[in-house]
Amino acid sequence: MYDLINYLWETGLNLLFSPEIFEPLVFPGLIAAFSLLIVVIWLERKIAAIIQMRYGPYYISRHTEGALQLVADLLRFLFSEVIIPKSVDKIAYVLAPIILFAFTFLPIVVIPVSKDFAAIDHEYSLLIALALMTLYSSFLLIVSWASNNKFSFIGGLREGFLSLSYEIPLIISALSAAVLFDSFNLIEIVEKQAAMGWGIFYNPLAAIVFLVVIIYSTSRYPYEIAEAESEIVIGPFTEYTGILFGLGMGISYIKLYSMSLLYAVLFLGGWEPVVWPLNLHPVLPGIILFIKAFIIVAFSVFLRAVYPRYRIDQALRIAWWKLFTLAFLSLLFSYGIKIIEVMG
Amino acid sequence: MSEEGYMLLQIGPQHPGSGHMRMLVKLDGDVIVDFIPDVGYVHRTVEKIAETKLYIQNIPLLEKPILNDSGNANLAYIIAVEKLLDVEPPPRAQYLRTIMAELSRIASHLYGIGILSILIGSSTGFMWAFGDREIFIHLMQMMSGARITYSYMVPGGVRRDLPDQFREEFRKAARYMRRRYKDYEKIIIKNPVTRARLEGVGVLSREKAIEWGTVGPNLRASGVAYDVRKVEPYAAYEDIDFEIAVREEGDCYARLLVRFQEIMESLKIIEQALEKIPNGKILAEKYEKMIQPRAKKLVEGTGRIKFPAIYVNLKPPKGEVFSRVESGKGEITVYLVSNGSPKPYRLRFVTPSFRNLLTFKNLIPGHRLADFPAIYGSLDYFPPGADR
Repeated sequence: MYDLINYLWETGLNLLFSPEIFEPLVFPGLIAAFSLLIVVIWLERKIAAIIQMRYGPYYISRHTEGALQLVADLLRFLFSEVIIPKSVDKIAYVLAPIILFAFTFLPIVVIPVSKDFAAIDHEYSLLIALALMTLYSSFLLIVSWASNNKFSFIGGLREGFLSLSYEIPLIISALSAAVLFDSFNLIEIVEKQAAMGWGIFYNPLAAIVFLVVIIYSTSRYPYEIAEAESEIVIGPFTEYTGILFGLGMGISYIKLYSMSLLYAVLFLGGWEPVVWPLNLHPVLPGIILFIKAFIIVAFSVFLRAVYPRYRIDQALRIAWWKLFTLAFLSLLFSYGIKIIEVMG
Repeated sequence: MSEEGYMLLQIGPQHPGSGHMRMLVKLDGDVIVDFIPDVGYVHRTVEKIAETKLYIQNIPLLEKPILNDSGNANLAYIIAVEKLLDVEPPPRAQYLRTIMAELSRIASHLYGIGILSILIGSSTGFMWAFGDREIFIHLMQMMSGARITYSYMVPGGVRRDLPDQFREEFRKAARYMRRRYKDYEKIIIKNPVTRARLEGVGVLSREKAIEWGTVGPNLRASGVAYDVRKVEPYAAYEDIDFEIAVREEGDCYARLLVRFQEIMESLKIIEQALEKIPNGKILAEKYEKMIQPRAKKLVEGTGRIKFPAIYVNLKPPKGEVFSRVESGKGEITVYLVSNGSPKPYRLRFVTPSFRNLLTFKNLIPGHRLADFPAIYGSLDYFPPGADR
């Protein structure tokens, strides 16, 4: 009997700590993302409050400066009624935000935590991550279309326009990192960076373009265009209530998190440097990766306190003229570095 | 308005960017082809109610439509009543009125700047402007005892004298506001995104501004140096040296800058007024005599007027008068007809927002949907003020 329990315990533990389960569910997947969501939204509101000379979240858990405010908000979302308007396409209306939320998580699965710990260690894992990221906008379009609301529709349309314009610079700037490190495998890219130095120093142009695209594509200010409150209420999620609306609020943060993880892997040296207590277990270097991603996330949400929002035509012009050109230049830059390497 | 190919969008009255107003926007793609501001959502029949109330009771009534600039609304009505009664307030009261009106203007402009900021997405601009507005509300509270509806001016003078700490508090406030202007410059005025959103948007040419009867800072941002304070000086403006803030561009950005300029100018006006303010009574001789002897002691001790009983029964002689003041949002006009009874026979109260409505309506078509809140905010359009 004892042996059986012991056996089950061991296999259960092994299963839990196998990368295929641990990555999507615990770290850097679901649980880590949710705790980051809580911390980041609190941080966003607190930073904005400090700049704007007010208290920010305060009343829920006063000793922690209102850190549990978002938990309270989520609980409220859970218990408030989900109103499904008569005019909506019911199946799409309910399922689309849930599927959207799930798909926003997916890119995290291919992002390795350390060189021995990856759920999917594939030769083309960078391309898989990029491909999964592009699913976001199509489901947001379904959300907005299913709502049967003019504001949602305009919001969805705007997101559609924006996604067409940001995806190309996103992919080109990611590819210039791939060219630089001669690989599509995220683990190899980090290994190369450990040997050569961080990608941001080799190709700062690509790093800047990618960072702007992160801010652009996750509706952070000044590109908070698809859900511009004073124009189109809250964009695609105008008709939503209760926990479905809560999901909608969280989605852009989850996307921001997954893109920041990819940014840390491509340009900030991933989980390097692996120093003493971190080399005890293959999961532990992930902490470094998480911290790097967190800095990117915190920077992105900080911009709320600095900028107003662009108009959609201005944002599209920036994407097609500046970002697209710069991304292309960064690709040439990477080739230039490669040529210099080969020649000399 | 529902032809094929166009989308009819109803913005408001329950919309985060609409204010208390229903607006119909006809969209061709992202471009607005037609715009109908449907006024009247917060109509309060102020003019009709005014006919049923005593002259003194109408003071708080007329403040309420222009809630964020109630000092000036108060002044416009009082000037009209004084013309009817043929009373001249003492010079000290005139200066106190000027100070009140300018503080109210600053508060109104900060309100407008805050609303414009949040409408183009700058939450920091919104919070800062509303936070700094609080300082001037505090000053007005020191003067009048109320935060928003001051009812500070009464026929023949003002209700209270200047408190002792006011000068010191104002000096601090002026210093603070001048320092803050540099912060505003960084986060709003010179912010590249603000400039991209406001420059060249909603351009109101000089000719059109005159044709559509635009008033206030919106008119002055289109290059017309028209200010009632200069054209027809009232209160103590004649003795005070100030400049009219004018810009030539006529776009949303110019309107924002004119508001900031006027805040700075108002600070100078108050400083001058505090310097030049003469000592003396704050209520006209005619009414001060009527204060009961027991209450007189209180008035002299605290500087607070205890109303003489005659105020309940003010009976202006027959006649009609017209008064206008330059409020934060533009010109307020009051037309008052008396038939000799203790209630006005007719009161016409024309607010600046109502007069800017035509500008608002004509300025929107041809712009993108995202420009709509920018223009709306830059005109400092206040629906309760327009509806009355």
